[in-house]
Amino acid sequence: MTAERRKVESRNDVFVERTATKIWQEIESTNNPYLADSCLCHGYDLLELTQKCSFVEVFYLLFRGELPDADEARLLEQLMIALINPGPRHPATRAAMNAGVGSTDREHILPIALSVYGGSHLGAGEVEPAMDFLRKQRKHDPRQLAHELITNGTPPQEGDWHIAPGFGSRFGGVDPMATKIANHLSGLPGKHETLLWGCAFANALNGHSLGWLAPAVAAAVFTDLGFSPRAGAGLFQLLGAPGLLAHGVELSNKPVTAMPFVKDENYVIKYE
Amino acid sequence: MSSNMNDCAYQLWDERRGKIQSKKGGWVIGKGIFNHGYSMMDDLVGKVSYMQVMVLNATGRLPERPVADWFDAIHICLSWPDPRIWCNQIGALGGTTRASVVAATTAGVLAADAKSYGIKPLIQGVRFIQAAQIDFKRGLSVGEVIRNECAKHRGKPNIMGYARPLAKGDERIVAMERVQQELGLPSGEHLQLARKIEQSLLKDFDESMNINGYMSAFLSDLGYTDEEVYRIFAVLVTSGVTACYVDTRDKAPDTFLPLRCTDIEYSGTLARPVP
Repeated sequence: MTAERRKVESRNDVFVERTATKIWQEIESTNNPYLADSCLCHGYDLLELTQKCSFVEVFYLLFRGELPDADEARLLEQLMIALINPGPRHPATRAAMNAGVGSTDREHILPIALSVYGGSHLGAGEVEPAMDFLRKQRKHDPRQLAHELITNGTPPQEGDWHIAPGFGSRFGGVDPMATKIANHLSGLPGKHETLLWGCAFANALNGHSLGWLAPAVAAAVFTDLGFSPRAGAGLFQLLGAPGLLAHGVELSNKPVTAMPFVKDENYVIKYE
Repeated sequence: MSSNMNDCAYQLWDERRGKIQSKKGGWVIGKGIFNHGYSMMDDLVGKVSYMQVMVLNATGRLPERPVADWFDAIHICLSWPDPRIWCNQIGALGGTTRASVVAATTAGVLAADAKSYGIKPLIQGVRFIQAAQIDFKRGLSVGEVIRNECAKHRGKPNIMGYARPLAKGDERIVAMERVQQELGLPSGEHLQLARKIEQSLLKDFDESMNINGYMSAFLSDLGYTDEEVYRIFAVLVTSGVTACYVDTRDKAPDTFLPLRCTDIEYSGTLARPVP
């Protein structure tokens, strides 16, 4: 292949002239086209929303295009409270704490923590696959499916087994908090077809030390509320963000000695 | 079993509680800093290149200097300061909002963890050529290898590593083949197959190999796996992103590619009262 043959020619792809959105409209002010005089979210004036709606209603509106009914708003709000903090032992929170105690610039604490919270094990990376799984499987008998997966699946040699996205063991057992949250949310007024299916599936797994994990609880609620699986990862990150930030900020004015530093005798270098 | 577990259920976690067992190395205060069995200050500093240590840390294997120099050169090919490229534009946007250079650069690097460009296509490129090589050795012809791959894409020549997006032809291959020759690095069986595939695609579709196809084949010849390639090139766009950041950081804030309100096309629901 000669250099001549590698001559570069544009494919002349056609790109749009303007980015389009169905979410947000900014009406320009009369004397400066760069300044917005008013903003509309799916047709609703932002300032009118601030006066008549709750945060959770506008949050739902952003992603779904319509305001939720009372049952939908309650379900989403209670999920947001339930998942507001992954807890001080979650690796993402510990990332926030490391950033905080290390005097990392404070505006970086949340992006750092959210990057770790994007992982596919107990993180946002598990939510979209869990939504896909639930959407596909909720038509089938949850007990039969659990039996098939347990019979045909192979647990890992070491560590927790996620038998399906968002379902499995945590520290070798069933996560009681994820189970309680799912059971509570499934008892709220409204239609929770996916959540109820997930409860039946988790119940069928329970005898094998497997069950609900937080990403699937979120995935089931997101599915029942009609959110797109493509939004699942980011929504999960948004819901956990307050706790991640709070823990990072809590340590951000402390010395580095405020967190353990593994002692030399407990740091073992062992090459394979 | 309920969440009341027996002791052995969490034994693994108890064994690791409060301890770190590293296969990679670490700092033994008073004795030295160790990396994959090497003493950093005695064996590596001043004796090997930074790129050699980068690859060592990503794969556990220290490459020979010429191979590391090849890695060095290919990194130059894969990142350049044009803010129209998506990851670079993120760097530029960071500069115009006065984000820190670290935040903007890492944001751009994160953006290149993408399927349509950046790092992820490399995984697909390595998988394709390694699978194709197995098929070729089994007796399939180059044409059959291509037809099988095209069949996955409704007959279109959407083979990872061929048919460069946005433009036809890839001048970077010319540069890298020159570097490869100057470094005395031979072309192995994967790269030879890649060139045969290219010849066939040129004849049938007027499409040639792109830089992904070249490097996927070359790295396969060196024995790297798809996951190792992903790890080696984790920050492959970093220098171009930083350059684009610097360009806008040194100009007045919020002046990079400014948008009037009407520069965004609203295509949603018309104005309505809140119920």
